[in-house]
Amino acid sequence: MVVISEAETSALLVEGTPAELVLVRALESEGQLTISELKSRFRSDGEFSAAFGRARAAGWISLDNSRSPPSVRVADRKGAEALASVVDSASRGAAESAFTEEERKVIAELVRRGIVKKLTTKSVTVSITEAGRSAVAEREAERALDRLSPEVLASGEWKGKQLRPIDVEARAPVFFPGRRHPVRDFIREVRETYVSMGFTELEGGSVHPAFWNFDALFIPQDHPGREMQDTFYLEGLSDRTLARKGVVANVAAAHENGWQTGSRGWGYRWQIEEARRLVLRTHNTVLTVRALSESREKDARVFAVSKVYRNESLDYKHLAEFHQMDGIIVGEGLNVRHLIGFLQAFYKKLGMRDIKVWPTYFPYTEPSLEVVGYSEAAKAWIELSGSGVFRPEVTEPLGVKVPVLAWGPGVERLMLMRFGIDDMRELYGSDLGWLRRRVELAGS
Amino acid sequence: MPVVRIGLRRFQRMVGASRSEILDKLPFIGLDIESSDGEAVRVEYSPNRPDLGTDIGIARSLKGLLGRETGMPVYVVKPSGISVSVDGRLSSVRPCIGAAAVTGLRLDAEDVRQIMSLQEDLHNGLGRKRRVFAIGLHDLERVAPPLSYMVVGPDCSFVPLGSRAPATVGSILTDTPEGRSYGAIIPGRGKYPIIKDSRGSVLSFPPVINGDATRVTEKTRAVLVEVTGTGQGAVDDALAVATTTLAEAGGRIMSVRVERRGSVRETPDLSPVQLPLDTDLIRRVLGLQLTGQEMVEALERSRLSVRRTTVFAARYRVDLMHRVDLAEEVALGYGIWRIGPLYPPSNQPGSFHPFEQFLDAASTVMAGAGMLEMMTFELVDEGSMYARFGRSGAAKVAVHQPRSLEHSVLRDSLIPSLMTALSENVRSDYPQRIFEIGRVYSRVADGVSESWHLGCLVAHSQTSFSEAKMFLEAVCRTLAGAEISAHEAEHWAFAHGRCASVGISGRMVGHVGELSAEAVDAFGLRVPVAGFEVDLRELRKQLK
Repeated sequence: MVVISEAETSALLVEGTPAELVLVRALESEGQLTISELKSRFRSDGEFSAAFGRARAAGWISLDNSRSPPSVRVADRKGAEALASVVDSASRGAAESAFTEEERKVIAELVRRGIVKKLTTKSVTVSITEAGRSAVAEREAERALDRLSPEVLASGEWKGKQLRPIDVEARAPVFFPGRRHPVRDFIREVRETYVSMGFTELEGGSVHPAFWNFDALFIPQDHPGREMQDTFYLEGLSDRTLARKGVVANVAAAHENGWQTGSRGWGYRWQIEEARRLVLRTHNTVLTVRALSESREKDARVFAVSKVYRNESLDYKHLAEFHQMDGIIVGEGLNVRHLIGFLQAFYKKLGMRDIKVWPTYFPYTEPSLEVVGYSEAAKAWIELSGSGVFRPEVTEPLGVKVPVLAWGPGVERLMLMRFGIDDMRELYGSDLGWLRRRVELAGS
Repeated sequence: MPVVRIGLRRFQRMVGASRSEILDKLPFIGLDIESSDGEAVRVEYSPNRPDLGTDIGIARSLKGLLGRETGMPVYVVKPSGISVSVDGRLSSVRPCIGAAAVTGLRLDAEDVRQIMSLQEDLHNGLGRKRRVFAIGLHDLERVAPPLSYMVVGPDCSFVPLGSRAPATVGSILTDTPEGRSYGAIIPGRGKYPIIKDSRGSVLSFPPVINGDATRVTEKTRAVLVEVTGTGQGAVDDALAVATTTLAEAGGRIMSVRVERRGSVRETPDLSPVQLPLDTDLIRRVLGLQLTGQEMVEALERSRLSVRRTTVFAARYRVDLMHRVDLAEEVALGYGIWRIGPLYPPSNQPGSFHPFEQFLDAASTVMAGAGMLEMMTFELVDEGSMYARFGRSGAAKVAVHQPRSLEHSVLRDSLIPSLMTALSENVRSDYPQRIFEIGRVYSRVADGVSESWHLGCLVAHSQTSFSEAKMFLEAVCRTLAGAEISAHEAEHWAFAHGRCASVGISGRMVGHVGELSAEAVDAFGLRVPVAGFEVDLRELRKQLK
């Protein structure tokens, strides 16, 4: 866990000043001195003699014998200065290796004379290895936090500690938010559109006597659309309350001979049993027409967005259950121009800029208009809705005396155009993949 | 909707108009363009306008809209001298008949194809699959008048159309596709309608099949048209449509005398349909301030004529029932594209239905709880509804003759639909938490009762009763401020000991529980499932 390395280093210790330097410094400060004056600066005659002899031999000093007593003065300062510099460096801790060869000879002489001591230091270096470092980190981690638990926060244990770092680039768990169904969202949008245009919403059952689904709408009892191949009849069930009086009697007469509407009627014998059969509504006009007959209002706008049922084999453009968004406007003075005007505004709000109307046929409206919208994807005019003005054979038997504009658009076709899908079944499949991953506002 | 194929080169010649003019205007006489290529367009027409059932008839109408030929077409009918005697016994078999001859024809293959297609459409539409009427066309030169419309027994024998050997009426009924399809229309046993000529050749065994002896070929220059049926009005309508179309193709219509005991009638009766011209009504309905003259011109473009206050339409206009029908004729002749839109202002505030709002809110609350919304069908298959849960289908609400057995019973619970959804997603990521808001049906004493349910299933390895109950309690509180009470219960979907009935204010509103192992296994699931189902109308009542 550690690496040990040893090393030897030597250092110099200066324990005094060489006597010849003391002699030269005395002369430098006084200029010149007699022998006896110099001798008094030393602790002994022997020390003086040695110093005087070394300085005179090195040529540092000169003796003037012309004076009496003779005087001594400095002759050459350089030698003394070099020695002083060596002693000075050594006393400040310079290593021997820092000196020149000449200087090292001087030092060796000084060591010999006992003025400088040579000290040798042995050093040992200990350093940590990688394994050692991680062992240390582990011990430190015991002091780091995995998470801020309520206990940690309450106790203050977090103080001076850090959260242990995690891999922030790792994948997070997959999560799918809860979501409303796209059809529900679209229906919500349609409902808001209607209400913003002054309409009141209707709600009602799916099962109705054939009377309200067909007869009241002047659809003759042998009309191909009423056959079982197209309509779901409930097995073994029929309405027991319907009786040929009031509205029912009026409707029956309208079928048979036109009643008092001025129509020639369909010219057949109307059967109440046929009208009592229970059907799953084939259109939501059943709701609007029932509301109309109950309220007989002279000024009303009502709508219903809900399921209708057709006995179809399922394929990409046919479902046995799908949604329609039927509406009617009742009011004095309403006409075909208002119908077209309303439909244009309605579809504009739902994002269809370009619509037009073509004549078509329904047994219960006159005139009958087909609403078509231009599909950029299909590069063609696509059928969006049937519409028209209710016939007198429909309104008069119900006691309604003002014009009624009516239409019954499909919901899914508009949704397909928005989502850019071409199979209606996809909307009602239970594919979690699609429902979870679809982009929320795609198409809107 | 029946379809007519319009070959464009032929049609341009017939109408005398350019291709673009034709394509542009076809929708405005009420024809839906179903498809088109460079050579032909296929258009759908409404069965109440059989006069548009051939390119010949469409040309007649379009020439009016384009102003090439306007007003009511007039067809001259001269007597042919041919008669048909009607057997009194037919009154209980197939009482009505009308017939006509059309001579001077030079039909090409396309004419013949168009007329055959019209005949088929008439049979299926106004003819209600030949029940109301059936049409027969014969080569007049091979017919030896006079004719008799009579009753025969099952042993009567003739060579049916498309066959070489003679066959009896009885064997035709049992051995040929036509016999099996249409034989049941003839009421009673042992009495069958037959049209024969003076030599005893069988022209027709209506409404089943014609005889081969009088078959129409490309060389046919004159035809005999006969229509038999159960209603004289419909028979006359069909005869008028067929003969006027042949006349439009270049033929001359000649009448046939129908002789019954004590009455004689010349057919076809092509007297025009008459309706009063109610200009006020038309202005009111269309919102157009047209002058009388403008209205007359528009009607003439719709191939109608006006004399004083009466509108005359050729007999083939079988759709005109009420004077209001003339509003559409005026609109068509005027040009629907010219009618300017007018937004109908309203001073009504508009309002949502409170229960629909509640359903919408339920969806929002469930999504907020992390649930994914499903929308599945109300009509389901019996197996997933009953058998897979080991319960009886005795109280099922079934529909008559569904086209698909996958959609044959109305569901009484959302749990089977949601289990089916889970079973279709076993490869999707878990946890799976799904819900549906849907209509359910149950049989009650006097019929069917409908209600709206909220169903929810949670599927993952750790799910439990208490998870389901937690969501249920949260939803009831959030949506309706309601606290539920749970009581130990048994339910066909849930495991014994892991199921509770759910009460609110003393009323039972649904169930919560862990799905039984049998059910989980029956749907091929490999994780536990828990969930609940509650009645939203009951929950809504808590809001008051």
